[in-house]
Amino acid sequence: MNDQRPTLPVTTIALLVVVFLQIPVIVVVLASFSETSYLTIPPQGLTLKWFEAVLTDSAYLGAIRNSLVLAIGATAISLVLGVAASYALFRRMLPGSEALTALLMSPLIIPSVVIGVALLQYFTLVGVRGGFVALLLAHVVITVPYIVRSALASLSGIDLSVEEAARCLGADGFTAFRLVTLPLIKPGLVAGALFSFVTSMENVPVTIFLAGPRQTTLPILIFTSVEMGVDPSVAAVSTLLIIATVLVLFFAERWTGFHRFV
Amino acid sequence: MRSWRTGILLFSPLLLVLASAFIVPLILLAPTSFREYQPGMGIVAGSFTLQNYVRIVADDFYREVVLRTLGLGVGVTVACLLLGYPVAYLIVRGRPGWRLPLTLLVIFPLMLNLVVRSFGWIVLLTSRGVVNNLLIDVGLIEAPLKLMFNVTGVTIGLTHIYLPFMVLMLVAALQNVPRDLEAAAATLGSSRFHVFRAVTLPLTAPGIIAGSILVFVLTISALVTPRMLGGPTYQVMATLVYDEYMQLLDWPSGSALSFALALATLLIIWISSRMTRRWAGLA
Repeated sequence: MNDQRPTLPVTTIALLVVVFLQIPVIVVVLASFSETSYLTIPPQGLTLKWFEAVLTDSAYLGAIRNSLVLAIGATAISLVLGVAASYALFRRMLPGSEALTALLMSPLIIPSVVIGVALLQYFTLVGVRGGFVALLLAHVVITVPYIVRSALASLSGIDLSVEEAARCLGADGFTAFRLVTLPLIKPGLVAGALFSFVTSMENVPVTIFLAGPRQTTLPILIFTSVEMGVDPSVAAVSTLLIIATVLVLFFAERWTGFHRFV
Repeated sequence: MRSWRTGILLFSPLLLVLASAFIVPLILLAPTSFREYQPGMGIVAGSFTLQNYVRIVADDFYREVVLRTLGLGVGVTVACLLLGYPVAYLIVRGRPGWRLPLTLLVIFPLMLNLVVRSFGWIVLLTSRGVVNNLLIDVGLIEAPLKLMFNVTGVTIGLTHIYLPFMVLMLVAALQNVPRDLEAAAATLGSSRFHVFRAVTLPLTAPGIIAGSILVFVLTISALVTPRMLGGPTYQVMATLVYDEYMQLLDWPSGSALSFALALATLLIIWISSRMTRRWAGLA
C-alpha cells in the first residue's frame, strides 16, 4: 500500500504549487504595511497609514457598504426563492424538472460579460438602469445557481419518510418543512449561501455595466482605481478583504465542515 | 392536482426573476447584433446587416483577438492540469493529516476576491514589481522584464485564478480510483510510473476532461484578470466586448461578439457532455 504514496519529487512540486497559490496574497499583505508607495522585498518600514487612508476615505467606506448591502440582499432573496424552487423540483411537483433545473443553473454557463451587456441594454430600454433594484435582481440571477445546487444536493441526501412522519402526526406542509426538512439541509444551505455571498461580493463583469455612480461596489472601485495606477491603499483594502475571507472560511469550516461542500 | 398548484406557487417567483432579468434580456440582445452602427451617429434604426458577425472572422484585428482568447484558453488549461495534478494527488494519496490543511489552502484563494488576487499579481509583475526587483538584485537581469500587458502576465494570472477549480475536480476524480486496482497492478510487476500511466491516469480521465472544460470555458470568458494584467492594449474577447459597450458605444459589434463568446462556451459544454455520456455508455 505504501507504494501509492506520492514520491518526494511529486510532493515537492505539489507543495510548491500550493505556495504559488498563496503568493499574491502574501505580497498584497506585505505591500499594505510598507512605508514606500511601491513594494520592495523585504518591505521597508512598517506603517498603518494606508489602512488609515482607507478607513477615512468616504469612497472606500461607501463602496464597502454598497457591496455588503448588495451581497446580503441578493443572498437573502436567492435563499428564499432558490430553496422554494428547489423543493418544488425535488418533490417532482412540476413536469420537466430536469429542464427547469438546467434553466436555474444556466446563469453559470453563460459568460458573465454577456449577462452584463444584455442587462445593460435591457435596463436602459426599460428605463431602470442605475437603479438599486435592477442591480439587486442581476445579483439574484448570478447567485441563485449556487443556492439551487446546494439545496438540491442536500435535499437528495435526506430521508423523505421523516417529513412524511411529521405530516402523519398532523403538521401541515410548511410546518413539516420548517421543523424537519430545513434543519436537515441547513449545513448545505449555509455553504451555498456563503458561495452566493462571495459571488456577489466579488462580481465585476455584471456589476460594472449596471452600477450607477452612487452604487459603486468594492471590487469595482479597486478594478477602476488600478487602471489609474497602483496605490498602496488598494493593498490595504485588499488586506482587509483577505482577513475577512480567512475569518469567514475559518468559521464556515468550524460550523459546517465547509470543504465537503466545495 | 394540489401538488401542481403548490409547485407552481413555489417555483414561479424565481422563474419570474429569471425571465425578467436573464432570459428576456438575452433574447433582446439578438436584434441589436444585426443592426448597423455608424460612428458618431449611433445605431441605425431599422437596419439589418450581418457585418457584425462577418467581422469577427474576416477582420484581422478581431481574428487576432479571437485566436488569442482561444490560445489563452488552451495554454491556461494545460498549465492548470500540469500544476494541479500533483496537488490533487498529494491531497488524496498523501498523509491523511495533510489533507484538510491542503484542501483549505486550495479553497482559500478561490474564496478570495478576484480583483484582489489580480492586484497581487500586478504588485508582483509590474516593471518595478517584486519579481523584477528580485531578479535585478540577484543580478540575473539588467533591465526589468516585461511581464505584464502581454501573454506572460495574463497566463500567469489566469492560471493562478483557475487552478483551484482544476485541483478540486481532480481530487474528486482521484477519490474514485480504487486503490486495490493500483495495488494489483503493482503486485503484477508494474513500475510506479507504469501503474500511474496505465491505471490511475485513464481512470481519472473523466475528471481531467471535466476540469479542463471548466477551466477553458472560464478562461475564454474572463474579463477582470485579462483587463488588470493585460491592460487596454492586450485585448481578449471579453475585454473587447467591454470596450465596445463602454468606450466605443458600438453596441451592435459588442452584442455580436457576446453571442460568439456565449455560443463558443455552450458548444464546448455541449460537446463535452455528449462525449462523457458516450464514454459512460462504453464503461
